Amino acid sequence: MPLTSARSEAARPGLHVWHYDGVSGVKQQRLLKIHDDAFRLISPDGAWESYAFADLIARDTQDGGAVFALKKRPGWRIGFAGAVPEEIAEHLPRVRRYGGLIDRVGLWRSSFVFAVLAAGAITLFLRTPAAVARAVPPSLERKLGDLMVGDFGHRACAGPGGPEALAAMLQRIDPKDRTLDVRVVNLPIVNAVTLPGGKIVIFNRLLQEARTPEEIAGVLAHEIGHVRHHDVMESLLRQLGLSVLLGGLDGKVGGYTNTLLAATYSRDAEARADGYALDALNQAGVSPEPMAQFFRRMAGGEMKGEGAARIMTYFSTHPMSEDRARRFDQAARGHGGYRPVLDADAWAKLRAICSSDPDAEKPGFRF
Amino acid sequence: MTLPPGCAPLGVTGGIFMASGAGRRGAFEFTGGWREFAPIAFSNLLLSIVTLGIYIFWARTRERQYLWSRTRFIDDRLEWTGTGFELFLGYVFAFFLFVIPFALLNLILQGILMRGHPGAAAVLGLFLYLLLMYLTGVAIFRALRYRLSRTFWHGIRGGADSQGLAFGWSYLWRTVTGTLVLGLLIPWSMTSLWNERWDAMSFGPHRFDANASSDRIFLKFLLFYLVPFIVFIGSIIAALLVAGFTSAASAGDPIDPRAMNVILPVIMLLIYGFAIGLIAMTYYAAYFREVVGKLTLGGLEFEFDAQTWDWIKLYLGNIGLVIVTLGIGRIFLGYRNWAFFIRHMKAYGELNLDDFTQSTTRLPGQGEGLLDAFDIGAF
Repeated sequence: MPLTSARSEAARPGLHVWHYDGVSGVKQQRLLKIHDDAFRLISPDGAWESYAFADLIARDTQDGGAVFALKKRPGWRIGFAGAVPEEIAEHLPRVRRYGGLIDRVGLWRSSFVFAVLAAGAITLFLRTPAAVARAVPPSLERKLGDLMVGDFGHRACAGPGGPEALAAMLQRIDPKDRTLDVRVVNLPIVNAVTLPGGKIVIFNRLLQEARTPEEIAGVLAHEIGHVRHHDVMESLLRQLGLSVLLGGLDGKVGGYTNTLLAATYSRDAEARADGYALDALNQAGVSPEPMAQFFRRMAGGEMKGEGAARIMTYFSTHPMSEDRARRFDQAARGHGGYRPVLDADAWAKLRAICSSDPDAEKPGFRF
Repeated sequence: MTLPPGCAPLGVTGGIFMASGAGRRGAFEFTGGWREFAPIAFSNLLLSIVTLGIYIFWARTRERQYLWSRTRFIDDRLEWTGTGFELFLGYVFAFFLFVIPFALLNLILQGILMRGHPGAAAVLGLFLYLLLMYLTGVAIFRALRYRLSRTFWHGIRGGADSQGLAFGWSYLWRTVTGTLVLGLLIPWSMTSLWNERWDAMSFGPHRFDANASSDRIFLKFLLFYLVPFIVFIGSIIAALLVAGFTSAASAGDPIDPRAMNVILPVIMLLIYGFAIGLIAMTYYAAYFREVVGKLTLGGLEFEFDAQTWDWIKLYLGNIGLVIVTLGIGRIFLGYRNWAFFIRHMKAYGELNLDDFTQSTTRLPGQGEGLLDAFDIGAF
């Protein structure tokens, strides 16, 4: 070592680098010399400037030579031609590859950690809505329902005797609850939906397709099951949560409301609502068997293919299966003493609830 | 004393002369290779999946760093200096400032509609629609400005002084006007908007100057109006062919009319997609040649020489790649598009490095958030 220690700093051979100063676009040449923790860039005319190694940021290599930027000096670059001598290289920062955090931990290890975190986040997002939905106060839920649909304007039907028949049916199935709000809306859709705040909407076409009031009672009991289990809020929260969670992949403004309105329930939620409906029907002395027939009729395709009005059917939101029909059949076995849920007169008035209401708006999409 | 490569003849002297004619290297050159890019693409895919998509901003940054660094312009490569974090930040801003308020307003709109006030709902809906269009214009401008401000060449970057708010209005009224008169003004609205935003952009000390005109692309735009006729005539021919084939095959049995009900719409859709795709390529190729060809920067002129057939090959290649790889090929589309873009870019003229000084435009703080939020591409 005596030789090198005898040399003065200035006598050390520098290293040629190319240089952009970030002010002019002219590529310059500099001689780089180490000076303690700093280095000097010496121009051909002998003038020099001093910089700290700590302020350097590694950029991508270029033609095999390392390139460095300087903190707070946009466009400032130095670049080495080929390999950098060890004595300089040890002062230089490392290149960022995947990002600061991942570089430190390593690609595979950090991927594993991220995957575990992601699985946890997804589980949390799928579980939380159920808990949050139960915690949402009924008043807030009602307000949300009002915000979404209000009172349906002139679409809600109230032909003579219709609302009374509906109320009587509701009273039979669910005698206790007074907060439920069931309406028939004049739209050609074979379906019924539950909205936040205990609002249940039966679409007129469903009334027309039903053969007995028990079928409507079955559908109504099923929707009440969704209300009892807070399924609507849960579904809304889950959709919202997922769209936020996956927002990084694909963020779109449109389609949010569609997602909200088209919110579907999981198969579990459907099965639970069916279970609730069966109990409610049996306790009320209403036969669940017509509901099974209704399912079979729907699944059998008897009601399909009659024009555009059938595009939105019960199927689109309620997965249909023979299992569901069988479940309603079995529930009816061993039970006796079923009484009709509505008499013939009330049933006729209920079915005519829209056609006999002069104020009810005719179906058709005027918006 | 040996000079490092790249320093030699051009660096210290001022003026650079280029002619991208035959026998010489073009001003633009893409030097990347897909094998070199593959490790970046696959690690990006992996990290994007395990972070539920959040890494996408860093992934996009790594991709651009690679593509820019493998793009040589005259004597030096481009450099991408944007960061994943600023893209992420831009997205978060856009999400809270725009996406959530928009979702809420949409909800209110539905409420008004369901309450039976179609008039009020229509007014609010129209307002929302126009606002969205305005913000789209702002987003397009700001994304271009962001990209230029993060692109360095010779240690010099681009940018724009304008924030793009005025461009939003321009975008709004020109787009609305463009759709009037059966859409005949669309080429005018597209080229004039291109001119307006590129005129606002600069690189180093020089302003871009865009003088594109819709005259030369108008005839190709008129091809769009042929689509209904093509679909109509094509469907008749196809239907006759299908009828002929099936009756020949079933030897006397009449064709099931229900089968025809399915086949015919599919054929019409195919012809429609094919005609629209072909005409869109023809028009877009002409549009891009026109707008890039009329763009200058200081003493530099640009040219884009991709013909319709080149665009078709690019798109068919992209679609084929995605299908053959069952979707994984998507990670190479950015690479393919960039390589296509650079291969067809030409530049002529002169640039004096002595007055090629740093841009004085304000550096935007964050990335293309608004654009991401509305899910549209730049350019």
